[in-house]
Amino acid sequence: MRRRVVITGMGVVTPLGHTVAELFASQIEGRTAVGPITRFDAHTFPTTFASEVKGFELGHFLRDVGRYYNCGLNTQFALAAAKQAVEDANLLDANKGDRSRMGVYLGSGEGSDEFPALVRGLAHASPKEGSGHVNGGEFVRVMLQWMNGPREGEQEMYTPAGHVAGEFALEGPNQACQTACAASSQAIGEALDIIRGGEADVMVAGGSHSMIHPLGVSGFNRLTALSQRNDSPRTASRPFDLHRDGFVIGEGAGLVVLEELEHAKKRGANIYAELTGYGTTADAFRMTDPHPQGRGAIRAMNDALADASIKPADIGYINAHGTSTQANDSTETAAIKSAFGDYAKRVPISSSKSMLGHLIAAAGVVELVISVMALRKGVVPPTINFQTPDPECDLDYVPNSAREVRFRHVLSNSFGFGGQNIALVASRFVD
Amino acid sequence: VTDMMTNSRRTVLTGFGVISPIGSSPTAFWEALLAGTPGVHTITHIDPFALPSKMAGEVHGFSAKASIEKSYRRTLNAMARTVEFGVIGCQLAMQDAGLAKGTIPPERIGVEFASVMGATDLDDLGPASKRSMQPEAIAPDMDAWGTEGLDLVPPLWMLKYLPNMPACHATIIFDMQGPSNTQIPGDTAGAVALAEAARILRRGAADVMLVGGSEAKVHPLSLSRFNLFAEFSKRNDDPEGAIRPFDRDRDGTAPGEGAAAFTLETLDHALGRKAKIHGEVLSVASGVDRGLTGSGLAKVIRNALAAAGIQPGDVDHVNAHGVGTTRGDAFEARGIAAVFGKTVPVFAPLSRFGNLGAASCLLELSASVLALQHGQLPATLNHANPDPACPVAVHTGLPQRITRPHAVKLSYTELGQCSAIVLKKWSE
Repeated sequence: MRRRVVITGMGVVTPLGHTVAELFASQIEGRTAVGPITRFDAHTFPTTFASEVKGFELGHFLRDVGRYYNCGLNTQFALAAAKQAVEDANLLDANKGDRSRMGVYLGSGEGSDEFPALVRGLAHASPKEGSGHVNGGEFVRVMLQWMNGPREGEQEMYTPAGHVAGEFALEGPNQACQTACAASSQAIGEALDIIRGGEADVMVAGGSHSMIHPLGVSGFNRLTALSQRNDSPRTASRPFDLHRDGFVIGEGAGLVVLEELEHAKKRGANIYAELTGYGTTADAFRMTDPHPQGRGAIRAMNDALADASIKPADIGYINAHGTSTQANDSTETAAIKSAFGDYAKRVPISSSKSMLGHLIAAAGVVELVISVMALRKGVVPPTINFQTPDPECDLDYVPNSAREVRFRHVLSNSFGFGGQNIALVASRFVD
Repeated sequence: VTDMMTNSRRTVLTGFGVISPIGSSPTAFWEALLAGTPGVHTITHIDPFALPSKMAGEVHGFSAKASIEKSYRRTLNAMARTVEFGVIGCQLAMQDAGLAKGTIPPERIGVEFASVMGATDLDDLGPASKRSMQPEAIAPDMDAWGTEGLDLVPPLWMLKYLPNMPACHATIIFDMQGPSNTQIPGDTAGAVALAEAARILRRGAADVMLVGGSEAKVHPLSLSRFNLFAEFSKRNDDPEGAIRPFDRDRDGTAPGEGAAAFTLETLDHALGRKAKIHGEVLSVASGVDRGLTGSGLAKVIRNALAAAGIQPGDVDHVNAHGVGTTRGDAFEARGIAAVFGKTVPVFAPLSRFGNLGAASCLLELSASVLALQHGQLPATLNHANPDPACPVAVHTGLPQRITRPHAVKLSYTELGQCSAIVLKKWSE
């Protein structure tokens, strides 16, 4: 029989709280974290607001933080979320258990360029008159003076997963992926497979990301992916609403402890839920646009249900990807209809992003954590800012206030730029 | 254990493509390996006058425009060089595998790609930067960036550099609708991509997985950054001799660029379509050696050997990462020595083409794939004087005969993330 995998620890750093309890309470209350960008001066940008993590200090979570001084927020958020998750699972003591059977799988975002130095260097090495190529040799000369080496070293993409493993003595399989908005869900799904296959007994999995920096916002603004509702940031993230105009950029991290069932039982671990289903597909369609019929999304959901050995009607709640972009929300709706048939009209669906914004690589794991909490508490969070129904989005999105619903299985969707579609199923644990 | 041996769980390499500083086909790459042709030279992509380390393994004469699938040529304006290497590398592997678009049902083929976020092309942000810097200022004028600079940034700027773009383009070009993932843990990315591809095949989620890696670090921003934090060789008067794996006089590594890609499929599937088989992947293990002691790496190697069902004595050679850094080589040697002592020859091909980062593992693996196929192990370049801190038997001099069917490929990061691949010569 296949090895079963349960969730025995969870941790988050989000714009709506730095603990799972705080995050879930705010979701049920329908609070939003969206406000003006404070990380840098964005007041002349097409989008001037974001969903920022506030009041974060790594020192609140770890004692010895000096060595992480040069790390990016991607690494720092990951360490803080990992600390909570590993502690929650009672696995903090590095002398406990076989640490070579405990691994890490992060869907982690990149570090960032040092914007002021980069712009200064590029301007310096640009031709003084007219247009022409930037002089690479001269650019190098000044950047060697204007960049900070240790800081740059910590922006390398292997560092978040490396530091989490190092800090918490997780010496088993170590992977990190970056598939944009699908990354942390994909990390969790593949970590599930690593445990099922017997390569590890515990995987600390999830993701971490921050793109709230000048080049991140510039890049998304040039792609016209972000909401530009600058006069009303708090209502800007409006998934499935007719007047949605793009996503709201967020940041943060989430990590869950996935554990083989017998291993968890043997040590008397608290079990939040069982991770039962995983589906992963590619659209193979375009760089950013989803396939219009959502063919990859449909198959990801179907595969996840089949993997969990359940039928569509067994799903009591869908935590949608629900980004608040025109294309995602209508396509996702169509895909849910295809995968769920008549039952699509009856299943409650909501988007955490209406309150949290879009945590990019970290979105999927945080939404899985919310889904697991909804499963345990018997209450599903709303989709806030849902005011004007869109004829193309005609399902039950749990508009504006939370709802009590008892259910046994939850499905969480994550779709990313580049065409990756991930669906996860978590189930109430029944021995 | 019997189950492990069934043909539906065995995974074999079929398609094979390389783009490297010493050759951009498996044949050219193999001939250069045998001849000892060096690929690390003084940098020419930019004027390296200001760099403390002025050497790299550069790919010359590469033209994505000339090689790319014609229908896809217009998308090249949304590809940085690292993405171009990746996409063309994938095309080469798919060609070699005989897998034109539509050969495999779309939902039965996927991709695992090793990559990083690319560094921005300077000219993409040059005009915006110039517009946003007041004379004599040391920081940009953010008002100016937002109001005037931003409009000068190419609309698709961000998409040129995203790590998952090589995989994304490959899925579109070849209509691959199976799993698509992009691995980013530095120099171990290729190994974990291969590991995951094998898992996906074994769990039945696909019949064929394209596995590749690419990176283009010989770029002014990357070179500046790496020169500030990485241990790069200062042997600027002798670029070809700069990277000295496990040698007493080693003083750092040098970057390289390029790509390597394979198709991996279950043995059943490969035999069913009479595919040409380049080698068998018996196992891949990864783990973390905290503090780079060597014992964690040894554990990962032992896990890989155990999963492959072989003993250290069954291994023909260890294909080391051998980057030529003081601490890195000593660490890797301790791990190798703990498992193999000095009985198994160590081959470190990296000194010929530099460290390709996300592409390093699979390009280095390519050397062993070819060595097992041809029955000859090329020598390690630039290893002249053994170092007591590196107690391993490095293979130097002339190519030697392959005597055992297995090779072990190692990779690691500065934070101790390690991987080991067990490769087997293909025989019916």
